[in-house]
Amino acid sequence: MSNSAEQTPIIEGRNLVKRFGGKKGLFQSAPTVHAVNNVSLSVMPGETFAIVGESGCGKSTLARLLLRLIEPTEGSVIYQGRDITKLPAAEMRALRREMQIIFQDPFASLNPRMTIGSIIAEPIRLHGLAKGKDVDKRVAELLQVVGLRPEYASRYPHEFSGGQRQRIGVARALAGEPKLIIGDEPVSALDVSIQAQVINLLEDLKEQFGLTLIIVAHDLAVIRHMSDRVAVMYLGEVVELAPVDPLYETPLHPYTQTLLDAIPVPVPGGKEKRALARGDIPSPTNPPPGCRFHTRCPFAVQKCREVHPELEDVGGGRHVACHLWREIQEREHPTAPVDRSSENLTQRLEIYRAYQAKRDKSPATVE
Amino acid sequence: MNESALAREQAAPAPGSSSELVLQVEDFTLSFSETAEKNLIDGVSFQVERGKTLCLVGESGCGKSVTSLALMGLLASPPARIRRGRAMFGGRDLFALSEREKADLRGNEIAMIFQEPMTSLNPAFTIGHQIAEGIMRHRHLSKAEARAEALKMLQMVRIPAAESRLDAYPHQLSGGMRQRVMIAMALANRPKLLIADEPTTALDVTIQAQILNLIRQIQEETGTAMILITHDLGVVAEVADHVAVMYAGRIVEQGPVDEIFNDPQHPYTIGLFGSIPTLGRRQGRLATIKGSVPPLELMPKGCRFSPRCPFSDSRCHEQVPPSPLLGPNHRAACWYAPLEQKLGALQ
Repeated sequence: MSNSAEQTPIIEGRNLVKRFGGKKGLFQSAPTVHAVNNVSLSVMPGETFAIVGESGCGKSTLARLLLRLIEPTEGSVIYQGRDITKLPAAEMRALRREMQIIFQDPFASLNPRMTIGSIIAEPIRLHGLAKGKDVDKRVAELLQVVGLRPEYASRYPHEFSGGQRQRIGVARALAGEPKLIIGDEPVSALDVSIQAQVINLLEDLKEQFGLTLIIVAHDLAVIRHMSDRVAVMYLGEVVELAPVDPLYETPLHPYTQTLLDAIPVPVPGGKEKRALARGDIPSPTNPPPGCRFHTRCPFAVQKCREVHPELEDVGGGRHVACHLWREIQEREHPTAPVDRSSENLTQRLEIYRAYQAKRDKSPATVE
Repeated sequence: MNESALAREQAAPAPGSSSELVLQVEDFTLSFSETAEKNLIDGVSFQVERGKTLCLVGESGCGKSVTSLALMGLLASPPARIRRGRAMFGGRDLFALSEREKADLRGNEIAMIFQEPMTSLNPAFTIGHQIAEGIMRHRHLSKAEARAEALKMLQMVRIPAAESRLDAYPHQLSGGMRQRVMIAMALANRPKLLIADEPTTALDVTIQAQILNLIRQIQEETGTAMILITHDLGVVAEVADHVAVMYAGRIVEQGPVDEIFNDPQHPYTIGLFGSIPTLGRRQGRLATIKGSVPPLELMPKGCRFSPRCPFSDSRCHEQVPPSPLLGPNHRAACWYAPLEQKLGALQ
């Protein structure tokens, strides 16, 4: 990849705003939901970018705005240096081949009346990537790429488990030979052991096809494992954006700190006490004035209630939207969450992997 | 090592002698058809002590929810059929009670919290009414007394402005608040045993932290024994005293929480831990457990994990493994436990 290509973000959102509702009805007007409020971010080719936040923070809406699956109320989307916000439908359709999405629920996102083969073949035919017999060949190839048997092409979605369905979703996303894949909670509906399989699969495919990944998720451990940079969202806004290691090791925004502090870590006694975020997440129909996190923030002062903090560049690729982040860092020295696994486990995992690898090589493996 | 292990084995069966056993499940075996060769739940044994929390851990379909429903007497029979085993609770076998006796226990001495607070509350009644209902049914109090009791419960689960919330309907509350209401309802009659089935799975992490904290505080205050069902090993580390790892209807490993996390012995437990990404710096690819759980008909006769296990051999497929004692109260159902010692035999 040339140097200049690396300078241009593959996708960029500029001052994106999305409001839902607000229509006047016969008896009452629907409340306006401020789903995404003035979000700007850019994703570089080849990176894994994560958008994290709790329910209702606007992370899925933001992902859909970037793909233009929904239209922004304000702002623009730039794909490879080109403004695609007003692109006509026909041109947009051609572009969609390059930008794909994997949905959370593998049970709802596959058409139950279509065979796996036709589900995967659809984008191939639509974009004219292959014809006739070659389509079937390509489908078989894709199934193998995601670790499924080519014979599965003639089966229907209900015959598969959640993990297998998610693999089918991935195969379909790959069918258009995309450059960018957005995964909207791609593993959160799966059991832990299956989740690990799909995470590894996504990482392998990213490597193999030189993809850019945008992962939308609420699971902070999954994000730490998979991504290069992370944007933390709260009530429709990005409150912190940083490379993954500094974000997890020295979170600057009080919300990021709260979030990291709230995750139970799989170490008994790893958490003695925690500063709980007070109360519930406010409704996005009526976001608080000033800093949107002030109602739950343990550090909030008068200014936070009145003045909206902008996302400022604080160096090292880090951005934070908080009036007080410097003082908080100096005063509190918030620490990264404890996370150590036992020596026994580490040792046994090594044995486990070694035996598994040995078995993979032998031809008589089941599955 | 072997001798001391043997000594511990002999001393083990009475761990409840010093503490009070609330529930003792022995050899619980259940199937959903008369003729099935393989049992959906197969020989499950565990116990819960007063004021302690047992976590049942496992992935979907491992039988953890079915186990809890069976204890609550909430499984329709037929099709469910308890083939063997008993569940001793206060001198009575829960599996041998009549419908009437079960109804008297449910929501009274044994209570349950479900995963989805929205679908487990009745949208047509106020939450005050729903909490009071159980109190009137079991304690025969008047309406006014039950309402006062309901208010106390809402305060106990730290619902702000509890008095005004008594007349609120479920849809007017947030997910976290609804789960607090569920907890209030479950605890209203001071149960000896609380079964919580994924109580925080549907909640956001900051709200989950609040609810876990609340559950712990209430347990300290009331001494209720708890069975917590979850798939989240982080939650387990935080609340469990004792952990039972389930796979395909059997308990594959159980022990005190520190033992399970610091000295996991069953290959499934090890694979499960390896599958979860951590919050620390990335350490290469995740370990995975190959394949998926086979359907019951295709389950091997021996160890049910053997088709996915990197260590398994023909004996594992054919013979149900023993459950040797590996530490204080710590057992793993594996032919190769303890792993490091037995692996020599593999080569």
